[in-house]
Amino acid sequence: MRSPLPRSGRRSFLAMTGVGSAAFALGTGRAAADELDGVGVPADPFTLGVASGDPLPDGFVLWTRLAPEPLAPDGHGGMPRRPYTVRFEVAEDERFTRTAARGQAVATPELGHSVHAEVHGLHPGRDYFYRFRVGREISPTGRTKTAPAPHATPAELRFATASCQAWYHGHFTAYEHMAREDLDVVFFLGDYVYEYAINATNLWRQGVPMPPAEHNAPTITLEQYRLRYSLFKTDPHLQAVHAAAPWVTTTDDHEVENNYADELSLESGTPPHDFLRRRAVAYRAFYENLPVRSAPRGPDLPLYRRLRWGRLADIDVLDNRQYRDGYPAGQVFDNSPERRDPRRSILGERQEQWLYEGLRRSEATWNVFAQGVVMAQIDRDTGSGELYSNDQWDGFPAARDRLFAAWRRHGITNPVVLTGDIHRHVAAELKADWTDPASAAVGVELAGSSIASDGDGAETDNLAPIWLGNPHVKLYKPRRGYLTCRMTPASLTSEFKSVPQVRAPGASITTTARFVTEAGHPGLNREV
Amino acid sequence: MTEKRTVGRRAALGLATAAGVVGATARPAGAATGGRPRGPRPVSRPRATGELGRIRLTWEGEAYEPLVDHYAVYGSESAGFPISPQTLLTKTVFSTFAHNGMGGRSRRWHYRVVVVDAAGERSGPCPEFSASSTESVTVSGRPLATVGSFDHKSLELALAPAGYAQYPARFPSGVNVTSGSGAEAGWSYIHPGPMDSWAGRRSHRFTFRFRLDAVPAGAPWLAMWLVDTHASSPGAALFALNGTQVREVPLERGATRGSLEGDATLPGTVLKPSYVEFALPTSALVAGENVLTIDKNTGSWHVYDALGIFLR
Repeated sequence: MRSPLPRSGRRSFLAMTGVGSAAFALGTGRAAADELDGVGVPADPFTLGVASGDPLPDGFVLWTRLAPEPLAPDGHGGMPRRPYTVRFEVAEDERFTRTAARGQAVATPELGHSVHAEVHGLHPGRDYFYRFRVGREISPTGRTKTAPAPHATPAELRFATASCQAWYHGHFTAYEHMAREDLDVVFFLGDYVYEYAINATNLWRQGVPMPPAEHNAPTITLEQYRLRYSLFKTDPHLQAVHAAAPWVTTTDDHEVENNYADELSLESGTPPHDFLRRRAVAYRAFYENLPVRSAPRGPDLPLYRRLRWGRLADIDVLDNRQYRDGYPAGQVFDNSPERRDPRRSILGERQEQWLYEGLRRSEATWNVFAQGVVMAQIDRDTGSGELYSNDQWDGFPAARDRLFAAWRRHGITNPVVLTGDIHRHVAAELKADWTDPASAAVGVELAGSSIASDGDGAETDNLAPIWLGNPHVKLYKPRRGYLTCRMTPASLTSEFKSVPQVRAPGASITTTARFVTEAGHPGLNREV
Repeated sequence: MTEKRTVGRRAALGLATAAGVVGATARPAGAATGGRPRGPRPVSRPRATGELGRIRLTWEGEAYEPLVDHYAVYGSESAGFPISPQTLLTKTVFSTFAHNGMGGRSRRWHYRVVVVDAAGERSGPCPEFSASSTESVTVSGRPLATVGSFDHKSLELALAPAGYAQYPARFPSGVNVTSGSGAEAGWSYIHPGPMDSWAGRRSHRFTFRFRLDAVPAGAPWLAMWLVDTHASSPGAALFALNGTQVREVPLERGATRGSLEGDATLPGTVLKPSYVEFALPTSALVAGENVLTIDKNTGSWHVYDALGIFLR
């Protein structure tokens, strides 16, 4: 199996010897040694492509994973059980004539022969190109960029969001179009893989063979999670978007198990001591397959973090699964008194304090929150009663109140919450008083639909009256797609883009809605 | 709050708390030594406990250093069996395994567990350990009345294996069946609970009638075998015989798959069969018609394998 990404020229990279670079590379094991060089590396090991992520003003993390047979049943991608030195090269041009950094890392079997190379010492706000080499094998070329200098005020930040990519439910047509966008960053907001068995009942992606039998089981072991990532990452359009821009990734629940909360398995009821073992292998596979910096330690994944786009935007990447409390009264949907317990938290005490401290120090025009589940209050009872989803921020209203209070306390006037999870395009104004439609908007929430989860979707569905019955919800569209945004010092323009089908490939893209949010005036002004 | 619980657990595991800050780097546990990793240590304290229709296995062992990819559980009814793909029962990351599907007869099994770590390295197998499953009253007892076959399949029952959506129309007042030929055609494979919107979000009663010419000597037992239950909300079954409540039994969590498929004997099945067997009060039976009711007042559905009254 060969990566669908184009190959780069070989001559200069093959001629490269040693490290000799100002760049620092953090490998995935001990320092690289010559004896780990590419002797005996199987042919065509870059089938899963390349990626970059978490851009800083002076660098980023580069990712690849050696997997000549990505669907090998043992999850090791067809690699021999030995470490290999993988060299990388970063250049200012696509032909690699102006090299900016070189380095090497060790791809070990214990990390699924993944590579996470941290590159530093680069110029801020620049485009870069990168590629890897192991033995005589050269990877496809990726494009990435560094963040602007800390005190710079860039003219714009162009980004997309993506989430919920159930490979088996449809083609990644949305990514095919996203790859053609001019993006600085892609935010991935959770559900990169799904833990469910794949079989005839849910393989809706037309024109692909049924995955091998080992995929017809819920993912429990590291072997199974690794295979699941491999299967999804064989998609050429997903690889193309990874290669086109740096990704900033967080998780939702399906990277481990539906609806889990910290150590609580709410779906299968697995006892905590066993569920943490599953969480540990799930997080390990997540790390092995994404361009993120911090590896898990046992069942704990350091995931929440802060990135900056000069003085234009501070970006808080949140983890709203690993530290959250369980259902308040044992139910996903209710309006129980326990729901309002002020001690309940979706982020956990430590992450909350980290977040508020960052907001206190923030001097950016915009504050972006990249996270998984819907923050806006959504009353699901269309009558006189009230009903809420405890899987979303509605299950933690006190924590939401604390966040909004922090916004007020620290003068955060332009919060932008980016959300996944719900497989629908939803745009909502975050209100100071949810019961008063005339109350001020304190921020906006932009929830892009799924890439493929739930198949084709529809122009509308039976949940539309519920969502649109909440007057602060300004858009509801249950089609597949993604969100693009152009953020400037003056305004944020958000476009919700949709494809009419994903079961069959090749659909065209349309802009379902466009909103403008003026800096200093939280709210959604619809243009399209 | 959750954070307190998490910190406590981290301390118990001896793990450092990793910071989530810009530029932070961390090496995965087990990756620091580099080079050819050492193989994992075998599991310790393996135990096997026989139950009705299954044997539960437990063991102890390091989960995170090195990270365990999975435990490979091997088993055979022959002592001294070889470790081979043919004797591999399952791979699991958990420290427990329920070896299901043994049926009603007592069976003795022997087990060994191999640890496979994230690098693909394998431990040696642990010493062989063994147990016998408990014999069911469906084997040792004399049947007085049954509906369905105790065979880990729901297929002979009404609407099986996936016709749950037809339940409200077919059984608007619940199930009411008299023992005898053809009873299976009137006994729904799926028994909904009040959490099931497709069945009206209400309680549902199944009634099983059977005649006895005389009250037999011996201890009457009830046996209810299930092919599967809802994974997160299996609910409970409330049994009453001739109008007198006998027992409410919380059901085991299943796989939420039995509503769609009905053969738990297929290789690789994800169905999770479970068993309910208990002694009925001797005085509960009467000469003439007896009426057993099963009420589902909590939780979601369960799927039947078979139901019966036996004498032990």
